[in-house]
Amino acid sequence: MPMLVRKSLRDYRRALIGWTIGICVFVGMYTSFFPQMHQNPDFYNQAAIAKYPDSLRKLMGGLENIASGTGFLQAVVYQLFVPMLFIMCAVILGNKAIAAPEESGTLELTLTLPLDRKRLVVERFAALALGLLGIAVASLAVVTILGSSVDLGVAFDRILAAHTGLYLLVLFFGTLALAVGAATGRKALAMSVAGVYAVAGYVVNALAADIEAMRWLNRLSPFYYYSEGNPLVNGFPTGDYLVLLAGTAVLVLTAVLAFDRRDVGV
Amino acid sequence: MTAVVETEGLTKFYGKRRGLEDLTFEIRPGEVFGYLGPNGAGKTTTIRLLLDVIRPTRGVARVLGAEPRDAAVRGRIGYLPGELALEGREKASEYLRFLAGVRGGVAKGRIEALGERLEADLSVKMGQLSKGNKQKVGLIQAFMHEPEFLILDEPTSGLDPLVQQEFLAMVREARTAGRTVLMSSHVLAEVEHVSDRVGIVRGGRLVAVEDVAALREKAVRRVEFHFDAPVPEEAFRGLPGVRDLKVEGTSVSCTIDGRPDALIKVAARFTVVHMVSAEPDLEEIFLTYYSEDVHHAHVGA
Repeated sequence: MPMLVRKSLRDYRRALIGWTIGICVFVGMYTSFFPQMHQNPDFYNQAAIAKYPDSLRKLMGGLENIASGTGFLQAVVYQLFVPMLFIMCAVILGNKAIAAPEESGTLELTLTLPLDRKRLVVERFAALALGLLGIAVASLAVVTILGSSVDLGVAFDRILAAHTGLYLLVLFFGTLALAVGAATGRKALAMSVAGVYAVAGYVVNALAADIEAMRWLNRLSPFYYYSEGNPLVNGFPTGDYLVLLAGTAVLVLTAVLAFDRRDVGV
Repeated sequence: MTAVVETEGLTKFYGKRRGLEDLTFEIRPGEVFGYLGPNGAGKTTTIRLLLDVIRPTRGVARVLGAEPRDAAVRGRIGYLPGELALEGREKASEYLRFLAGVRGGVAKGRIEALGERLEADLSVKMGQLSKGNKQKVGLIQAFMHEPEFLILDEPTSGLDPLVQQEFLAMVREARTAGRTVLMSSHVLAEVEHVSDRVGIVRGGRLVAVEDVAALREKAVRRVEFHFDAPVPEEAFRGLPGVRDLKVEGTSVSCTIDGRPDALIKVAARFTVVHMVSAEPDLEEIFLTYYSEDVHHAHVGA
């Protein structure tokens, strides 16, 4: 593994461990509620409809069929909270690539090593991608193992498909933060751009089902490519995932080019 | 031999603010170049331009015969930043090993030897290092790979006097080994004893480059002679370079500008029992460079 990737991962170690535990606990806790729902499908289906007003329920992905394994997993793991939590983690890690060390001044010494600036950005991106992959694999294991112990009845390949989408989604937002940081060197700006885009993207995607005007806008939302193919039911939506991946690639390229041409630390 | 640093019309503006304007100078192989100026004069800007941390608005710089953008050239440079930031839970020794690794490794035991020499505790986590210890870690990483060219931005800040002496010895050794050093400071006293030449920068402009030996020759020096018997004042009056002459019984004191030769020869005619010659006050010359702009400003107003 290239030195800088290894070093970055070592620097992220504590954050990575913390987020892995956090996300896995969150995922595990919700997954383990399933037996209760499964045993009282009518009650919980009714409750889900009764508890939340229509519009709020739509924001939460409909909450349909919450007593079935697939519907439950979609609602509690892949819909709102876990992606948002995981995106927050990705944005924070993405900021650690360039913007945070630049603001604290530690980037200057790194920059004067015999390393190409382009390589610096690429290796920091690689560390981000690997770190997030670690969290994704750990949380996938939790969903799979707990899921089978509570008889979710969702095939592993479907869970894998959904989880791959989750990984690609958070990688996109993490890379967005990295790219804004690489282009401007400003942590707060990177955080707000990624945060605003994530929230807006989510809302647009949730409302697009009902509001005609949102449909074309939805094409700009990463959540559209994440959820449209319904991977828990249909398996890998290859085309959609490639769009997410392409978006990430464009951001990496932007980050590399922007960072290569600007003054650092002024 | 090609110059280690060569710049032509090097200029950097931060927006409208001038960081450095029209810098043309060179640093020769094997010399220690002291780069002097008050804070904010453009020293760090120059250094960052040479290391490609920032890019010039105009002009060119060549370092070790290459463009600063060439990453490989930085492998031959050791750099101590003026505001060294080290943080995190990593131990200083681990961080140094990482830096050494990126630089393609350093001689075995080298980091430990430098650590001992500067009395740095490398087992401390970086976030907990004191300012002086941070500076030591910074010096170790700059020297450890025995680079051809050392760029040291305010290297003595935060060091106690004993460690400062050790550091100056390291600079002298580097020069003896044929390496080139650029070191900045805002105090002449810090660099005059190791520098061959000094450049003086002020308000973003290089106002003078002086040979330290020549500067010393030009410098005003206080001299005092004590004789075994009273001496006649006429003998000392009107000697070249002698000013503020004071003859009181058996003692003669004056300041001397340039070579003391004529004065010594006159004094040799009498019996000298004691002689005091203070170090030439370069600081005074230095301050005249600084105050020139102030002076002009006064005239203008």
